Amino acid sequence: MSQRFDSTASPTALVSGLLLDSRREYNIVVLGAGGVGKSCLTAQFVQNVWIESYDPTIEDSYRKQIEVDGRQCILEILDTAGTEQFTAMRELYMKSGQGFLLVFSITSLSSLNELYELRDQIVRIKNDERVPIVIVGNKADMEEDRAVSRARAFAVSQAWGNAPYYETSARRRANVDEVFVDLCKQIMRKDSATAQVREMESGHRRRERPNRHARRRRQRVERQRCTIL
Amino acid sequence: MTPPLTPVRSQEELSPRGEAPPPVFHNYLRAFYPYHPSCDEGASTVTLPLNHGDVVLVHSVHTNGWADGTLLTSGARGWLPTNYCEAYDQEPIRTLLKALTNFCDLVRGSSSGNLEAFTNIDYVHALVAGVRILLEKTECLNRESATVQAHYGLRRNRKALLSDLSSVVKLGRRLKDVATGAFAIKAVENDLGEVILKAFKMVTRCVKFLDIWNEEFGLSQCIDASIAALDSLKVNAAVPPTPPADISLFGAVERRSMQQMSESGSSVTCQAASASIDGEAGGSLAQHTSNRPRYNRMSQSYIRPGTSQSMRQTSSQNQRDSRRLSCRLDSSLSLNFNLASERLGAAHDGFLGFLGSFIGLHLQSRSSSEILLTTQQAVTTCRTLLAVVEEVWDRDLRRSGSLEEARDNMYGRLADLVEAAQDVFRPARNGEEGDVFLPAEGKRLVDAATTCVRGAGECVATARFVIERIGDFEFEPLGLGISTFDRPETATETTSTSECVENAGGVVTAAEVAMMPQPTCSPPPPPISLPDEQSQPLLRTSILPGKFGEQSLSLSVLDEDRAVASHSFEYAGKVLPPIPQLNSPLMPSDDYIPSAQALFSSSSNSESPISERQSCGAGSLDISSTASSSTYVSQASTRPTSVDCSNQQRTGYSSMVDSFSGSQTTLSDDCENGEAKILEKTFAHELAFNEKGQITGGTLPALIERLTTHDSTPDTLFVSTFYLTFRLFATPIKFAEALIDRFGYVDESPHTAGPVRLRVYNVFKGWLESHWRNDCDSQALVLILRFATHQLSLVLPTAGKRLTELAERVSSVNGALVPRLISSIGKTNTSIAHYVAPDTPLPAPIISKNQLAALRTWKSGGPSVHILDFDPLELARQFTIKESRIFCSILPEELLAQEWTKKSGSVAVNVRAMSTLSTDLSNLVADSILQLEDAKKRAVIIKQWVKIAKKCFELNNYDSLIAIICSLNSSTIIRLKRTWDIVSAKTKTKLEKLKGIVEISRNYADLRRRLQYHVPPCLPFVGMYLTDLTMVDHGNQTTRQLPGDGNGPIKSVINFDKHMKTARIISELQRFQIPYRLTEVPELQTWIQDQLVRVRSSGQSNVQLYYRRSLMLEPREQILRPAMAETLESNSSGKDASAKDRFDLFGWSHLSREKQGLH
Repeated sequence: MSQRFDSTASPTALVSGLLLDSRREYNIVVLGAGGVGKSCLTAQFVQNVWIESYDPTIEDSYRKQIEVDGRQCILEILDTAGTEQFTAMRELYMKSGQGFLLVFSITSLSSLNELYELRDQIVRIKNDERVPIVIVGNKADMEEDRAVSRARAFAVSQAWGNAPYYETSARRRANVDEVFVDLCKQIMRKDSATAQVREMESGHRRRERPNRHARRRRQRVERQRCTIL
Repeated sequence: MTPPLTPVRSQEELSPRGEAPPPVFHNYLRAFYPYHPSCDEGASTVTLPLNHGDVVLVHSVHTNGWADGTLLTSGARGWLPTNYCEAYDQEPIRTLLKALTNFCDLVRGSSSGNLEAFTNIDYVHALVAGVRILLEKTECLNRESATVQAHYGLRRNRKALLSDLSSVVKLGRRLKDVATGAFAIKAVENDLGEVILKAFKMVTRCVKFLDIWNEEFGLSQCIDASIAALDSLKVNAAVPPTPPADISLFGAVERRSMQQMSESGSSVTCQAASASIDGEAGGSLAQHTSNRPRYNRMSQSYIRPGTSQSMRQTSSQNQRDSRRLSCRLDSSLSLNFNLASERLGAAHDGFLGFLGSFIGLHLQSRSSSEILLTTQQAVTTCRTLLAVVEEVWDRDLRRSGSLEEARDNMYGRLADLVEAAQDVFRPARNGEEGDVFLPAEGKRLVDAATTCVRGAGECVATARFVIERIGDFEFEPLGLGISTFDRPETATETTSTSECVENAGGVVTAAEVAMMPQPTCSPPPPPISLPDEQSQPLLRTSILPGKFGEQSLSLSVLDEDRAVASHSFEYAGKVLPPIPQLNSPLMPSDDYIPSAQALFSSSSNSESPISERQSCGAGSLDISSTASSSTYVSQASTRPTSVDCSNQQRTGYSSMVDSFSGSQTTLSDDCENGEAKILEKTFAHELAFNEKGQITGGTLPALIERLTTHDSTPDTLFVSTFYLTFRLFATPIKFAEALIDRFGYVDESPHTAGPVRLRVYNVFKGWLESHWRNDCDSQALVLILRFATHQLSLVLPTAGKRLTELAERVSSVNGALVPRLISSIGKTNTSIAHYVAPDTPLPAPIISKNQLAALRTWKSGGPSVHILDFDPLELARQFTIKESRIFCSILPEELLAQEWTKKSGSVAVNVRAMSTLSTDLSNLVADSILQLEDAKKRAVIIKQWVKIAKKCFELNNYDSLIAIICSLNSSTIIRLKRTWDIVSAKTKTKLEKLKGIVEISRNYADLRRRLQYHVPPCLPFVGMYLTDLTMVDHGNQTTRQLPGDGNGPIKSVINFDKHMKTARIISELQRFQIPYRLTEVPELQTWIQDQLVRVRSSGQSNVQLYYRRSLMLEPREQILRPAMAETLESNSSGKDASAKDRFDLFGWSHLSREKQGLH
């Protein structure tokens, strides 16, 4: 009997399910040391409006549809919060990701240092130096406890192929959407870039110059994208 | 413009009161000028006639100034002009009004099928709290108070409102009994309607009471409020305003319907309303007239006629029906009814009405003719619905595919329903007996009906979606082939229906009644006397003495069979079981007074053949179940610790209950004496509920009150959540204090004092016995000791003594006094595995003497043994034993507040041990493969590990399975191409299958589904729970706001929902904390442990270490062609990494920046 009025919920899922085909779906993995507030970031992003009660045990708990550059895409977020100690599991998580949020807390230098290993692992697994990554300095609302200077974070960003760096505050919901959107844009760019490359490769190799240009342009864009609150 | 043209949206959107409404929105309005739609005004909609002083609950306000509201005096709903009204918000009655709003939302938000909301009567308690606050603020709480004594009017009204309140409380109790026991839709729908009307009536009384009081005393105090009210609605009282509606639009229809109404004896017509002034109201009428010159709205004494005959709204109060309640009055020819969305809704409602009678009715009691008739009607209404859907689809230029699909599905489902209905009585046609009813077929019918409900829901939602896109449109009044849904026709149809039904079995379902547009067809209000009410205390007394010391067994009802079981519940609910049965050992041996729930569950077992079949197979063992709502678990916390003690207790306890039942009987007799009982002190207004009626938040006193409520057993999840998480929202001292306060203030209401005090004692006892954490709780010990010796022992000497003992012992013993049963704490599900008789021998280990000997020589320094030397199954078993041992010792407190992630001083030793073990196992897999130079040998090892993983899966050891698969699937191993080439295809397919099982995508959807109905023993993947717990903690606030109407100050309360979620996840984990029945092989365990320690000792750098080794064993192909690699690197960024890996051989752990430098 209880389905009687629950029944209205499923059709909307049905409708959206049918519309899904035209949208893109991307897997994003959120990584970082324990206690940097990754899960707050994810929870804040996934529940766009204030939700009375958030239940992470259902299938859709980590899905969110956003519009990026006029295109609808669905982000499936894998947040490993709570399982940091299962180091052997990390690879499993990383494998599924197309883009990565590497989160540290600006109040803890060690949390930034832990990202190096994670990043190396990602690069190795993905076999790609330019895998879409966004570096996130969380807890920006705790400026008085800052232990990681912006300069330092920027240095890391530069070392990692100009991966964009954001400072966020999950508590104040500052820059939360932005980091996910940025990452999504990177993935989309990469998508179309690989498609282009494939096209070019099929049309014989005459790529030297335009390709390098494209790369420079991209780098320039990325440099501008380092965003601070 | 007439308002109803626009608000044709769904009900969800119509009731935005819960979420911070705009400041100008008032939930209650009060008419200060009568509004009677004159007779030549027609109705394109339902307008409510207003009398001076009427209070209206507002659902929404249209921009044109009309408000959609429900008149409290009659329960009628319709449109009313807001400029005839003012905000009604006076401080003393605010809490009460808020409680009423919440209550209405609750009723409206639930359907007859979703009765969970009514299994407790907190909403009634909130009303009680509201009345209490009103009386407190007006200084009329005691009958003896000077105010009450001095004023006749107040006295009269006070008495009347208390008696009204008492009948609300009584009805609430009855509803609770029904809700906990059965699916009896008919009774419930009546009750729901009745209880809400009673509440309206009671509130109306309160308003009147407050008016009189204001008249006498409260002028000065109310000035502020009246100023605020004046500000919010700028109206000129001197000049009677005109209604905002365009009068010319009203047709003759209204008049006709008005005539119908007055003919049918309805009370809401203006004449009746203004003329019928009963004797009681007469007193206030006198005051009213005398005050006439002082036309001050706030000090006005408003007069309401007696409203007892306004019961015609009882028909049905579910979400959709109530939206259209008022429409039903006279919408027979209303224009807007032709709107597509409106038609859709109406057709859907009609269809659901019939399906509801299908699903809910006790099928055994129905004759074939009835079923066939209902089926016919269902088909007719469904056709109407589908016709509307067709029309919508037709209008949609894009020809929505989803709608088409939903529609086609619906056709299919309807066909199924008809077929199922036929099948039910197929045997009957063959044989002589008319009404052979096959339960299995009946279930199928119910299923088919349920599917239809869902299908209709989908259909309608999709259609709504389309309508939203293409815009609402009006149907042509005639033609289009869907004019079948004309009101008059339906009326005749339903009338004939009800006649037939009455002939057949005298059963008129509420849903059918709801279909009748004529108020005359409504059933008379059910009598107020409640037979259950009196018998219940008797039953309670009879149960209590017998149950101490009895073997505790928990009976649970399988969730899947709920639909079937519910029939038996209903059956049991109608005929109360004879008393002796209740002494059966099936009762949970719980100190709490068993609720009606428990009674029903035990009686259904003995009476109903269906559920007996379910449980007889189970005999004396527990049935596993995942439905927390339908399981009754005996809790260690509330169990008497020793027999002698409980014997001592018994006398005191039963006498306590004797007095309780005695007072219960007098309650119904004499309202005058029962005042104190009705007006118990309560914090129920400080609770927040969700749409299912579950508590989502509350202040500590309010939550404690729920924990120790006298009238129902709090559900196990609630209790265990409390024990588990209270330290997160209160200190142990605050918790103890709140309990002691509860013990104290219950003095004011003697009839509940007994059970409540016992519950308070039980909470303390459970805490000390099974949930005590000496490290943090010891601070409250002094408080508890003082309470035990000074307060508790005065009332309950044995209990006091016992508590003192416990308090003294608890400080000396470390750990729980009463060992928790296997994972008893926080456990909301019974889940004992397949029953295995204790004398069944354990499976013999698959290990030969030679193998054992080899292990022994290895231990004494001999040659090492190898993983290939042992049987994969036995290895899997030993891993499982090892892991299970740690898993079963995980304490719930390890899982709270991310204890396991703490850098230092974490109490979560077992959780950490789990992650260490899992990581070690992964590393062992990698290590054992990578230590071999020969690719062939590596392939053999991989094969062995796949076999072990398979066996782990067969043992339901998902944790080890994931660890092994993770490792085999890691980049370190997976890149060993030469090795994998040798691995057989068979092993590879096996591995692929196992990979599919541990798929983590979509939030572990596959794994969750697998675990959901899994029967222990089982080792789930702990990481999943850890993530869930972290996300619950971070994704939910610690406090939540009480749903208010924005008028009063916003109150923040404990977000109990968050803690309930936490407890639910923990209990889900605990469900699996059952040890495996496997034989340990100590020699093998030692060897495994040694291996694990060995790989662990290489430390954090394992990953890099293995990767390097992997690269050495099978170097990257690019390295063989360095020149090629160089060029690639400069050209393509994608290949950079491969070149770099070469350097990683020498300095992998360096930072990538430095690597670039090296490069």
